[in-house]
Amino acid sequence: MVDAFAYVPAIVLLPFFSFVVALAAGRYLPKGGAFGGIAATAGSSLLSLWVLATVAGGEAYNETIYTWASAGGIGPTDIELTFGLLIDPLSALMLVIVTLVALLVHVFSLGYMNDEGETGLPRYYAGLGLFTASMLGFVVADNLLMAFMFFELVGLCSYLLIGFHFREEGPPSAAKKAFLVTRFGDYFFLVGVVAVLATFGTAQFAGDGSFPALADQALSGAGDVAWVPGGLELGTWFTIIGLLVLGGVVGKSAQFPLHTWLPDAMEGPTPVSALIHAATMVAAGVYLVARMFGFYALTPTTLAVIAFVGGFTALFAATMGVVKDELKQVLAYSTISQYGYMMLALGAGSYVAATFHLMTHAFFKALLFLGAGAVIIAMHHNENMWDMGGLKERMPVTYWTFLAGSLALAGIFPFAGFWSKDEILYEAFVHGLNDPLLLGGWVMGLLAVPVTAFYTFRMVFLTFHGEPRSELARDPEPVRWNVKGPLTVLGSLAVVAGLVNMVPVQKLLGIDGIDFLTQWLNNDFGGIDGVSYSAYNDLLATYGGYAPAELLGLSEELTLLVAAGLSLGLAVVGVLVAWRLYNVASPTEHTAKLGGIKDVLYNNYYLDELQVWTAYRTEDAAGGADTFDQGIIDGVVNGTSSVALAAGSRVRRIQTGLVTHYAAMLTLGLLALLVALGVSGGWFL
Amino acid sequence: MSEHVPLWTALLPVLILGVTGLALLLVDTIRPNARSNTTLSVVSALGALASLAVTVWFVAEGTGDVSTGGAIYLFADAIKVDTLALFFTAIFASVTALVVVAAHDYFDDHDSPAAFYSLTVFAATGMALLAVANSLAVVFVALEMVSLPSYALVAYLKKNRGSVEAGLKYFLIGALSSAIFVFGISLVYAATGSLIFSDVAAEIESLEGLAGVAGIGIAMIIGGVAFKTASVPFHFWAPEAYEGAPAPVSAFLSSASKAAGFVVAFRVFTEAFPIGASLVADVNWVLAFGVLAAVTMTVGNFAAAVQENVKRMLAYSSIGHAGYALIGLGALSGSAAGDSAVMGAAMAHLLVYGFMNTGAFLFVAMAERWGVGRTFEDYAGLARRAPIACTAMAVFMFSLAGLPPFAGFFSKYVLFMGAIDNGFVWLAAVGAINSVISLYYYSRVVKAMFLDDPESSSTLDTVDSRPTALYAAVVFAAVATLLLLPGFGPVIETAEAAASALF
Repeated sequence: MVDAFAYVPAIVLLPFFSFVVALAAGRYLPKGGAFGGIAATAGSSLLSLWVLATVAGGEAYNETIYTWASAGGIGPTDIELTFGLLIDPLSALMLVIVTLVALLVHVFSLGYMNDEGETGLPRYYAGLGLFTASMLGFVVADNLLMAFMFFELVGLCSYLLIGFHFREEGPPSAAKKAFLVTRFGDYFFLVGVVAVLATFGTAQFAGDGSFPALADQALSGAGDVAWVPGGLELGTWFTIIGLLVLGGVVGKSAQFPLHTWLPDAMEGPTPVSALIHAATMVAAGVYLVARMFGFYALTPTTLAVIAFVGGFTALFAATMGVVKDELKQVLAYSTISQYGYMMLALGAGSYVAATFHLMTHAFFKALLFLGAGAVIIAMHHNENMWDMGGLKERMPVTYWTFLAGSLALAGIFPFAGFWSKDEILYEAFVHGLNDPLLLGGWVMGLLAVPVTAFYTFRMVFLTFHGEPRSELARDPEPVRWNVKGPLTVLGSLAVVAGLVNMVPVQKLLGIDGIDFLTQWLNNDFGGIDGVSYSAYNDLLATYGGYAPAELLGLSEELTLLVAAGLSLGLAVVGVLVAWRLYNVASPTEHTAKLGGIKDVLYNNYYLDELQVWTAYRTEDAAGGADTFDQGIIDGVVNGTSSVALAAGSRVRRIQTGLVTHYAAMLTLGLLALLVALGVSGGWFL
Repeated sequence: MSEHVPLWTALLPVLILGVTGLALLLVDTIRPNARSNTTLSVVSALGALASLAVTVWFVAEGTGDVSTGGAIYLFADAIKVDTLALFFTAIFASVTALVVVAAHDYFDDHDSPAAFYSLTVFAATGMALLAVANSLAVVFVALEMVSLPSYALVAYLKKNRGSVEAGLKYFLIGALSSAIFVFGISLVYAATGSLIFSDVAAEIESLEGLAGVAGIGIAMIIGGVAFKTASVPFHFWAPEAYEGAPAPVSAFLSSASKAAGFVVAFRVFTEAFPIGASLVADVNWVLAFGVLAAVTMTVGNFAAAVQENVKRMLAYSSIGHAGYALIGLGALSGSAAGDSAVMGAAMAHLLVYGFMNTGAFLFVAMAERWGVGRTFEDYAGLARRAPIACTAMAVFMFSLAGLPPFAGFFSKYVLFMGAIDNGFVWLAAVGAINSVISLYYYSRVVKAMFLDDPESSSTLDTVDSRPTALYAAVVFAAVATLLLLPGFGPVIETAEAAASALF
């Protein structure tokens, strides 16, 4: 029997090879190297499915592959820096999601890039290949440092791809912004990685010697950590570490206040946006928290912060999506908002709900972006929704699949998004009754539901319904199989993906065994000890006092019904309002009714301006540091060097060139040595 | 080695070098014309490589190692073959091989290159003999065997005033130093009644009233060693000799001859005057070496920083590196583990230094061959005409400066860490400060080659000639400097094992 885990490196390396091939020989290949990328991601997909099947068969894998540095005896502990693989239910599931979305994005690119006659295709496919490879490497990483490296690679690739059209004005600047803003978060992450290594001497995610396990032992008094700075309490220090790592997560997953790069990143080609939003870059942040959830479960403060930030981001981004005129902009804000939900779920301690929403979101958001891509092809790259309308009859495949994705995004029963979002809100609610911060997150998450439904259907109605509002919309360009194919696959998934975890149905009707995802993440099929839903629940209960509460003495079923009904009802309200306002033959802008709020929303709460202002103040502070550096540090350095040079010329002058002088100085030197040794040794006494 | 092999075969590396020297004389007698340059170069290179191969084989087999029955003594204990000796013989043989290959092109149009090869190989024989010496008498004879050919080699360009003058100065200072050295030996003999190291060591603890005599003798021996290693205050000959000598000779002297000085120092001061016994006799030579190390590296680096001439800069940098290697003696604490660590690090540094410094001087030899000038300005823009050689030179410079990831960084790092572990933080601090200063003048070379523009486009036209053998030697030295990066583990382990046998 061949071991599937032996092929895990190949999952990462195949897209990497396609990157190398596209870069080196892309210009000689048909379609600019697209087929290489498709073959590679298809291969990775198949291997990932095999790995998934193997994990389902009860196996898991957690091995170090290569130790690239080990510091023996230096510092407080021996630290080994390694590359390794961690394949458990979570990473196996993520592998399938990432490879599947990457494959579909590659296929779609044939229609979006090749058929549209874009130039620089080898560069494009090379970027896609490296992007996929980096994300896959991140997913299988078995330690925090390796994860950080691939995390950075993901950031670099997003920079390269967002700035793909580097000859235009917008994309390079958007790419730079994405790079800098996420890098700002990554600084904290890097400090966090170093802190983890210094504190625990290891950065392994899973196993007995892993840092979450060590932290657990230290907190429960069964073990000790190598280093804690300045007499801090263990819990406080762990919270600080958790927040530091969270910095990287907030940047990459576009959470408030580092979300500003994401809407600008829409400057990249649409398939790239699909990849960034559904499976790679943005997903990396949430995945990281899920990956080291065993550590976060120990620090309730961090979890509360995560939940509150998540809930706030969900609502905050949703409100901005309401007024946008461009198709991709709406989707961009919806992504920020949806990742806010996932953070809310993680903060509420529901690892399963977050992973569930990560999965369903990956499918329906990839679908929406690819659908938007199809519309953009049809509209000859005009993205303004006010120029569209009536596309329903002219592009039915795109319409029906887009509608499925929208229903999922809005959280309408029984589409995928309904199940996952409902579970998040339910979990936040039952746990939030004991914790005001969490409850605040839940309230904001709930408020975001109708807003989400509203902007989603505003988008659908403006784009597909009513009368065509421009020449382009009357006669859109047809799209081919390579666009429709991926849409169909994702459309089906957006409808059915929610069925893998029907917890509410199970609880209400008492049908056991239909919460497959919960069982899956609970290691019911097999996995690694200590990395499972129930293990995390134990930790949460021990350290955070997390326990589900009942509302006003209602039974669990009733609580469930109230929560689900509330969120579904609000979603329907949002849809109906959008229907009322925009599902007319020629809709008009209603934003003027918002008055002053409209400007605030249009300008994204002026957060971009705030960041620019902060950047300038930072520059001022940097100016002060620069003066210090130039004046004092450089002064000292220059002073030292002039002293050295002056002393050097003195020394040089001793070298007169006269051999008699040399002999004299040599003899004097020897005499000095003799006297010094003699006096210190007392020979002359 | 197995039992039935005669013991004298342990001297094979030395013997091969000696026979090669004789063979060179024979070749020159049979074909006494300048065209035999290639033959001579090949013969001497083969001899050096054969010696190197045997040495490496011996080290791999554990000849003279504790694991195979300890050091091999020959000729009434006057000779002692152990890992330390083999380690240094490997340095001598490698440097000799590089130098004779490079010399092929350097002396291509010289009237009589034959003498150069035989003198070099004989000097190398003397060095290899120094490495196995176990008696002060053998040390002195071997030292003279190294010195006398060296004087002739420095003055080898008979029609070049600088070369001849440098040779004469070197000879005069050398004569003075030899006198001091041999006088020191006689005083030690007077006090202890023996020349064999172990006997000297046995006597030195029980000197009754003769401590002063022995102490003065030891101080004078320090002087002799300082001359050979070009350490302050016996360094005055070095800048002039290195600058005036043909560049391959400078490479040979500054790498191999310096290492020969260190093998004497390491052996004599650990075996004949062990720390514990010397302190009993009130001879604190550790302090003396510590002070010498600090002064030597400071003088070398400060003077190197103000030079305009690249070859002279390298000469002073070579003095600075002697200072670093002296830490191997100046930072001994008396604990066997710490001492073998720091001395092993100094040995490893000398090995790495052997490649990078030889390579740097050979690059200068190539520049002399091309006829570009000798100052930093003359090297401007050289990288555009000779990118490979200049990249190699950049590797040497950064490695000499001790920048990661080059081998010079690791050897220096281990050396300084060893000093700190032994409680000599001040010595490591002086070393670190000097390393920073050295970065300034080393990077000047790289900056001139890669960043500066030449004065005019035609100034570097002569660079288009490609001296094959010189190129090969420079590139090989660069590759060796880089390969010592992954290979540093075995090197430092061998060196520490060799050093631990001394304590």
